[in-house]
Amino acid sequence: MIREGILEALQLLLRLDASVIDAATRSLWVSIVAVVTAGAVGISVGLLLARKRFPGRSVLVLLFRVGMSVPTVLIGLLCYGLLSRRGTLGELELLYTPTAIILGEFFLALPIVATLTHGAISRLDQRVFETARTLGAGTIQRAMTYLREARLAIMLAVLTAFSRCFTELGIAMMVGGNITGRTRTLTTATALETARGEFASGVAMSVILLSIAMLVTLAIALLSREAVEPVS
Amino acid sequence: MTSPAQPAARSMIDISDLTVTKGGQTICHVANAIVTHGSTVGVTGANGSGKSTLLRVLADIETGYDGKCIVDASLKDRVFVHQSPYLFNGTVLSNVEYGLKARSASRSIRHEKAALWLERFGIAHLALRSVESLSGGEKRRTALARACVLEPKLLLLDEPLADLDPEGIDCVVRSLSKLDASTILITSPSPLPVDLTQATITLKQE
Repeated sequence: MIREGILEALQLLLRLDASVIDAATRSLWVSIVAVVTAGAVGISVGLLLARKRFPGRSVLVLLFRVGMSVPTVLIGLLCYGLLSRRGTLGELELLYTPTAIILGEFFLALPIVATLTHGAISRLDQRVFETARTLGAGTIQRAMTYLREARLAIMLAVLTAFSRCFTELGIAMMVGGNITGRTRTLTTATALETARGEFASGVAMSVILLSIAMLVTLAIALLSREAVEPVS
Repeated sequence: MTSPAQPAARSMIDISDLTVTKGGQTICHVANAIVTHGSTVGVTGANGSGKSTLLRVLADIETGYDGKCIVDASLKDRVFVHQSPYLFNGTVLSNVEYGLKARSASRSIRHEKAALWLERFGIAHLALRSVESLSGGEKRRTALARACVLEPKLLLLDEPLADLDPEGIDCVVRSLSKLDASTILITSPSPLPVDLTQATITLKQE
């Protein structure tokens, strides 16, 4: 059954089935927008948590760490509450739109990027901070120096967040609604096709999902190998 | 503890009964030391006598100490070079220009000064090389050029002659002699070349 499914999946892929391509491109751009925005915020937050001492810093670090393991269904549920008609952002009418999925995935990616960036900056050689300071670097130049020195680990953080967003189901299902041509992603399409007995389509979606996830994993593996090698 | 404040008379450094304690153990003690402006002073002593700690106190990297330590130079005018210097990712040139960028020097000034000091330290041919491909001695010369290019009022060098061959030591001694206006403190576990320093502070293990 699986072999037949894979064969059908290959046929769907080879003839560039419109529904498969639509779900794949939506999955990609929604995840990219979510990770880019979460990356900008998360990297700044991670840097601040690593370098600034302020009351409640340890609690924030802990909360972001906990945030890394929050189930996507729970994030979806919270976003649903926020975006539903009676919710705080209900008037914006974002529920069941790609923007809603982006918002949910933003909250999924943010703690990953912030926590891993915090770890990457904290693990930098103490001489990085001392050298930048003794050479007279200002706040911005110092921040840019730390980010550059930890760039591989930070890229790793962003790719990890992308990998998580791209393969998640809970958020896309709860706040996206799996609407054909509007909010259907690879994961929601896979779940739907399998549920209604269209196994080949489900496998085709999974093959694309798996291919892109494998590419990201490969990039993570390559970066990880480089990240552990000392630069100086 | 005394924080660096106004200068005493015309000395660059005025230390009295300086003690740094870590984990209940004294890791550095200097009874009295005065360093005049523009002089080059050696700081010698056995391993663990507190040479590096003294330089870190003077650079304001180490702030937990007792006693008096007055330095007549702002933080921007003090540059410290680690015993094992850290070079930032990038080229030799980008490292040497780092502090000049921090001082908002124009591109032409940065290139001109960097070229001069790269030449003085004999590493002009390495300017565009990545720091990852440098030898230990080349890394040290790069770090020294990066500090000297700023021509700071106070230059604090932690064992700058380690990893260097005799030619490298000559090159560093010649280059440091160009910093007429700077006060330079150089640590070393062994006696420094006689033509390099005018005075020596000797530390003893507590």
